[in-house]
Amino acid sequence: MQGFIYLVSAYAIVWVGLFAYLAVIMMRIRGVRTELAAVQELVREQQEKPTTS
Amino acid sequence: MALANRDTQTERQNSTIGTPGQNTRPPIASLALLTLTFIGMMTSIFMIFLYVPTDAIEGIPQRIFYFHVPIAWIGMLAFGVLAVASIGYLWKKDERWDWLARASAEVGTIFITLALITGSIWGRTTWGTWWTWDARLTTTLILWFIYIGYMMLRSYMGRTPASARSGAVLAIIGVIDIPIIYESVNWWRTLHPQAEVGTPGALPPEVVLTLMISLVTFTLLYSFLMLQIYQLQKMQALAQQLHANIE
Amino acid sequence: MIFLEQVITILWKDVRYELRSKQMWTGMGLFALLVLVIFNFTFDLRVDNAAAIAPGALWVAFVFASLLGLGRTIAAEREIGSMDRLLLCPVDRKAIYLAKLLGNMLFIGVVEIVALPIFAALFNVPLFVGALLPIVLLSTLGIAAVGTLFSAMAAATRARELLLPILVFPLIVPIVIGAVRATGTLLAPAVNEPPWLGLIAAFDVIFLTVSMLTFEYVVEE
Repeated sequence: MQGFIYLVSAYAIVWVGLFAYLAVIMMRIRGVRTELAAVQELVREQQEKPTTS
Repeated sequence: MALANRDTQTERQNSTIGTPGQNTRPPIASLALLTLTFIGMMTSIFMIFLYVPTDAIEGIPQRIFYFHVPIAWIGMLAFGVLAVASIGYLWKKDERWDWLARASAEVGTIFITLALITGSIWGRTTWGTWWTWDARLTTTLILWFIYIGYMMLRSYMGRTPASARSGAVLAIIGVIDIPIIYESVNWWRTLHPQAEVGTPGALPPEVVLTLMISLVTFTLLYSFLMLQIYQLQKMQALAQQLHANIE
Repeated sequence: MIFLEQVITILWKDVRYELRSKQMWTGMGLFALLVLVIFNFTFDLRVDNAAAIAPGALWVAFVFASLLGLGRTIAAEREIGSMDRLLLCPVDRKAIYLAKLLGNMLFIGVVEIVALPIFAALFNVPLFVGALLPIVLLSTLGIAAVGTLFSAMAAATRARELLLPILVFPLIVPIVIGAVRATGTLLAPAVNEPPWLGLIAAFDVIFLTVSMLTFEYVVEE
């Protein structure tokens, strides 16, 4: 029985680990997309303003 | 679900009149890899728990082997990819090699971490000890440290060409060193032979088949994760560049 | 011959600079001694034990002192900005690397020379056997070869004192194993010992070459 517990915990750790990592990746991608959208806003605003130097 | 797709709105960047919108192209490659990985994983689980016969010597916990070994191999493959990408970056000076390198380093770290944990648990069941300083385990641990060192270096140096170059040099030194480390630990261990972690002798065909299927599954998973992180790196680089353009 | 001149010039500059401030030498030396003394408390050093523990203690002291020295030279460089000015000159980057390497080896070497007799006394081991010199020399070369390259790398970061050991320790494992075993064999000769000195020498050749070639990428601006 004890061997079974080890087996389950090993697989559980792998699954939890991979899913947690995947979740983190998704969050990071979403974060970058938001940031990109915001920066692109700023770029367009700057382009629409008359250029002053 | 935020999956990576090819459209990073580079086209929108050039057009002045553009409606800011979310990504229009569906993430085909990501979805395909994810589906294949899922199928592979289901198949592997079935084979590991229902198809392969129980090992006569080690019993049920031996099935950890079918996850542990592919994960460890992919962890080392990732380091190889990191090294190749590093050489590519130093040679071609193209940023994309660096994105590839950073992606492989990140995914590789995760895989080696999981390999060490599963290996330790497996060792506990088979040999009664959580750790032993044999050549393979020790080298894997050192590899883990090199990965961590790489991640720390890149993190501290930020997102600059200098950071990419330094990381590349570290990776190249690392990949040359790993075989030397393995051999030196081997020599050291022959003086005190102790429990070897691994399966001795020839493997029956069911075992080999299951192992191969599992390996394919994890390779698919690796490819999927690589694609995500690569696109992530690309977007972060783009965001940084745009920030710089504004100022 | 211009290459060699560059190396010697840079090396001489560094040595003169370091001779002026005695900070590093004394710091490293004391540190090495402290490590040796602490080992006395952490391990039970009865006479028969000493031969087993002594090589390990010695090399732990040397490795840590080396890392200390490596970190300090590059940090000092960055503070006074001399590295930047040096890079502006059309000097071969390989020459800079070699000069830094030799400088580091010199500093570490002095500490080792001072620490060795004291080590021999503290641990009561017969030390001045002929073969000790090549072991110490080649091992120091290996540690310094890798260390010089990475100290240039870590110098650009804020956490350089933390990062340098993390980067260097895993990579010099073959040297540490080889040096400890080789020194151990000196004190207590064993049969069927693998050729440790050969391993260290091979390591040196490989990593000296690779470091020299990749150094320019690290310091490039």
